[in-house]
Amino acid sequence: MQMQIGRDLSLLLPEIATLLTAVAALVAEMLRRPRWALILSIVGLLIATGLTLPLLGQETTVFMGTLRVDTLSTWAKLILLPSTALTILLVWPEVRGTDREGTVYSLLAFTTLGPLILAGAGDLMFLVLGLLLSSLGSFALVAYPRDDRATEAAMKYFVFGSVTGAIMIFGLTFWFGATGSTLLATLGRLQGNSLAAIAGLIAVLVGLGYKGAIAPFHFWAPDAYDGAPIAVAAFLSVVPKIGAVFALAQVVGSLPAHVADWPLVVAPLAAVSMTYGNLAALSQTNMVRLLAYSSIAQAGYFLLAVTAIGQSDLAISALVVFAAAYAAMNLGAFAIGARISRDLTAFVGIGRTAPWTGGAMVIFLLSLVGVPPLAGFVGKLLLFGSVIDGGYIWLAIIGILNSVLSLAVYLRIIIPMYQPAQSVPRASRPTAIVWMTAFVFTIGLGLGAQLLIGRIV
Amino acid sequence: MFPLVSLTLFLPLVGAATLIVLSGLRRLTPRAAYVIGIVITALTLLGVVGVWLRGVGSTFSQVDEVAWIPSLGASYRVGVDGISLALAMLTALLFLVALIFSSSLTERPGSYVALFLLLETSCLGVFLALDMVLFYVFWEVSLVAMYFIIDGWGHAGRQRAALTFFLYTLLGSLPLLLAILALYLGSNPHTFDIRSLVASPPLSGLAATLTLVALLIAFAIKIPVFPFHTWLPAAHVEASTAGSVVLAGVLLKLGTYGLIRFALEMTPDAFRQAAPAVAVIAVFSALYGALVALAQNDLKRMVAYTSVNHMGYVVLGVAAAAAAVDPRARTLAIDGAVLQMISHGVVTGALFLLVGMLQDRTVTREMGAFGGLLRVTPILGWSFILAAFASLGLPGLAHFPAEFQIFLGTFQVWPIAAAITVVGIVITAGLYLRAIQATFFGVVPERWVHLPDLGHREAWTIVPLLVLIVMLGVAPRALLDVIHRTVELIAS
Repeated sequence: MQMQIGRDLSLLLPEIATLLTAVAALVAEMLRRPRWALILSIVGLLIATGLTLPLLGQETTVFMGTLRVDTLSTWAKLILLPSTALTILLVWPEVRGTDREGTVYSLLAFTTLGPLILAGAGDLMFLVLGLLLSSLGSFALVAYPRDDRATEAAMKYFVFGSVTGAIMIFGLTFWFGATGSTLLATLGRLQGNSLAAIAGLIAVLVGLGYKGAIAPFHFWAPDAYDGAPIAVAAFLSVVPKIGAVFALAQVVGSLPAHVADWPLVVAPLAAVSMTYGNLAALSQTNMVRLLAYSSIAQAGYFLLAVTAIGQSDLAISALVVFAAAYAAMNLGAFAIGARISRDLTAFVGIGRTAPWTGGAMVIFLLSLVGVPPLAGFVGKLLLFGSVIDGGYIWLAIIGILNSVLSLAVYLRIIIPMYQPAQSVPRASRPTAIVWMTAFVFTIGLGLGAQLLIGRIV
Repeated sequence: MFPLVSLTLFLPLVGAATLIVLSGLRRLTPRAAYVIGIVITALTLLGVVGVWLRGVGSTFSQVDEVAWIPSLGASYRVGVDGISLALAMLTALLFLVALIFSSSLTERPGSYVALFLLLETSCLGVFLALDMVLFYVFWEVSLVAMYFIIDGWGHAGRQRAALTFFLYTLLGSLPLLLAILALYLGSNPHTFDIRSLVASPPLSGLAATLTLVALLIAFAIKIPVFPFHTWLPAAHVEASTAGSVVLAGVLLKLGTYGLIRFALEMTPDAFRQAAPAVAVIAVFSALYGALVALAQNDLKRMVAYTSVNHMGYVVLGVAAAAAAVDPRARTLAIDGAVLQMISHGVVTGALFLLVGMLQDRTVTREMGAFGGLLRVTPILGWSFILAAFASLGLPGLAHFPAEFQIFLGTFQVWPIAAAITVVGIVITAGLYLRAIQATFFGVVPERWVHLPDLGHREAWTIVPLLVLIVMLGVAPRALLDVIHRTVELIAS
């Protein structure tokens, strides 16, 4: 028994390191040393990333099957921990010198735990725990500026989260009641009890759909992103979203399709989310809101691979590759947005006065469209490949039409960038590090896709 | 073996990177930018000629292969056969000419030349790629580069035109992605290798038909064929002259090349069934393009619409080849179609250049505003007349051998279609005679009396094209030999 716990804990080292990082940053803040908190949290997250590397290729569970150490959970760590480190770097210029600055870094590290647990959830209780962990920290982060907009945004986020969380817990009781267990692995026992199966499935979709900002559970997202510091918006659009999508993949992967025909629900959700997100983004004049709606559309793309889980071998690789690509390109776009402005009109002439920043923004946005040879293309190639392989050609066609729509969306940023110039704000160095890192990954993941795909088993 | 194909392919990209770095360091004079650009494109042309001299067989040769995403079966594979080599030569030539012509332009030359070089690599890449993912990568990059060229250096309505171009052609390229995935998932073992997919077409039945439909949509938008041509006039009218040359001369060929390489070679049975429908669209498109061109008063718009007409012949030839049973008829039709692509690139390139030269002098393209220019600018005038006669299919000039073979091949399959399409040639003759009449004959308006004739820069661009127009018309054999061996293999 002792050995068992020792082994389990050793497999959870990345999570433990993340938790310790959050605590250490908090202690530094209590000592009124915000700079220490910054450094500690970034270094800690990178250490946690390093601790994840030995787990690559493992397929096992810990704590009696309740937490999974598998492809999805390991890659979630490898993608989300560095992403959080980058957002901490990005949030620094925005919150520097404010009261209780260090709590932001601590909260970001702490909040990342939720998505990590979600991505490895093998048990309904961990699903709930992961959701709550990622929500609680996020509410505080959105509210941090403490002005009217931020408060309103956090309030909406909170109310929406409470309701959807309650619905999820309520629905999960059906599954617990019908199977007598909270383990995802026992979901096959729902056979013949379709009412309970569907009730639980809908509840999970509501809860995780909220966390992943999947339409029609997205209403909080544009307001929350816009009210929060831009770096926090970047965080919310990447980290909890990927956690929620991976959790959904864990759930539906454990739910045999003959028990509840979940692709029938997930596929339309993908179509609605893609289409709604892009259409709504078309009319935005605020960069953060535009990217918020775009991230709703991208969530729909994630669902393409979720739909194909169990029916195509490509589905898991597609999820991981697209998650990595999405993290890089979305963080990059937000980082440059943080440098320029929330207002789209401020982008006029950026491409001419600041050619490198402008060029990088074009690369990020084209990668979001899925233009090769960038990271987003490899992701979408696998996504489309997996849905076609799974037999959902109509969904692939909707996805492709949406790519055209999304080009129109992102051109709303690109076109003004190459019009005659205005003055440009000076870049702060941390922002530049963030977008440059994202830039390297956006290009590198496209050209060197094998380095990633070859390691996904 | 020395990877000459890869070197040639990436030389322009290296040039583009150099220019970007130099202009980032603010060490780039406009003159230096153009010198680098012209030297690089000239070397690229030499490289392509070198590939030709090394010998090109009927099947893919001089293949360079490096594993890229082995988990998915995608590799970096490039190589040439007769068809791709011919198109690569056309590409290298037209980019050189386009850059020489542009060298008087002073607005942000560093970015301009860099984008052209990027576009050159992507166009060459489409023709040389032997892997579907690689093909798609180059295909999409060409859209992005062309978008920025139209958007940055076009005329007044360029932003709208660039936007239409980008959205429309992206809409076209995404069905291509679907088709590529379908071909990949249908092959066993899964591969993106064009060679093995051509050797044994993987799909049959409904899957093949659906894939073909996706391919046809993708290429019809690119070529463009009625009713998907609406992006073309806007893009041409608003693009700069060099942009138009490349757009009409090279980018349209990406579509017709894809039509042969993918639709004809990878879904042959489905294409055979669909061929009559494709032929109807092609005939209609050819006539429609000619008729609309006849109605234009803007010279550039007119030339743009004749592209729709000429590309219609190419599609008709490929459709006839798909439907024909007799390998000789098939060979004739494809030979003609490929030769037509080359001729159209050279002839239309020359016409766009000449219209651009007129516009540079007079700031207008309305043929009603001109008159009698043959007396004022005789070299320009006679060049235009020669190119126009070539475009209308005069024997002895570039389009004649191509169109002759297309009609001959088609005639054996669908005599009526061939007969109807010939009407297109008559209309084209009419519209060019009208344009020549209005522009170069009659009375010279007072304000144009002192127009200068061609300068050195302009002569360097137009003379090689005119020489080629005549050579392609008189002795098409030299080029046809290269194409023919590959075509025979496809046709058999």
